[in-house]
Amino acid sequence: MHTVLTRGNAILAYTLSVLACLTFCCFVSTVFLDYRTNVKINAVKTLVKNVPNYGNNKELNDLGFITFDLQTDLSGLFNWNVKQLFLYLTAEYKTESNELNQVVLWDKIILRGENAILDFKNMNTKYYFWDDGNGLRGHKNVTLTLSWNIIPNAGLLPTLFGIGEHSFKFPDQYTMQPV
Amino acid sequence: MFNIQTHMDFEGQNRAEKISRAIITFFGFAGLIWGAIIQQFSQTIYILAAGFVLALLITIPPYPLYRRKPLNWQKSKNQNSEGGESSKKNKQK
Repeated sequence: MHTVLTRGNAILAYTLSVLACLTFCCFVSTVFLDYRTNVKINAVKTLVKNVPNYGNNKELNDLGFITFDLQTDLSGLFNWNVKQLFLYLTAEYKTESNELNQVVLWDKIILRGENAILDFKNMNTKYYFWDDGNGLRGHKNVTLTLSWNIIPNAGLLPTLFGIGEHSFKFPDQYTMQPV
Repeated sequence: MFNIQTHMDFEGQNRAEKISRAIITFFGFAGLIWGAIIQQFSQTIYILAAGFVLALLITIPPYPLYRRKPLNWQKSKNQNSEGGESSKKNKQK
């Protein structure tokens, strides 16, 4: 503390220590919160086609087409340790070749301050619903769930499932005309 | 260079450190509470930064507050330390 530089150094170092301590307090204040909430999902249109998957092996694979309704209020999830939410809609189903298939069909980023009350009707998916074989036609139990990943200022990056899911079935016939 | 005196006496250094820590701790605590109330962690950081600047302004310059108890040095003996004295005189000019 005997020169200008040592005093400046001591003050800067102490400020950074306090900042780390405050950040930890912010983390502790939100680590035990429950970030789950209710979600209503509904599949509106469900079609399945049998087309060559040029992105993979050029074989004829099942490609599902669905549109969905989504209704949820995520505004209660935001607090001073949540910068943004990454939402994604997953289809889960079981086939003979795989015990569990998970396909992400749609996603969305919601920044804090943006509208977090979602009410979508008849939304198209963002990503292709490819099966890695021919497991989708006539499938009786495909489950849609909404999950989200919380991006905080400090702390954990939890992935949570919304409460509420929707199961639907694909038609028994392939759709031949273009969609 | 410009021969600006920046030293503090020992008591002053102790006092400067205590004051700077008190300021930064107080602003950090106040910022945490305010940030928790309005749920904006950025406000906590801004308030802490304000405390940092205030601590710099209050405790870095050697105000007379920090120079109240100078040490009483023994007077130098002329015959032994001529060289040292002359250099000191040069500095003070």
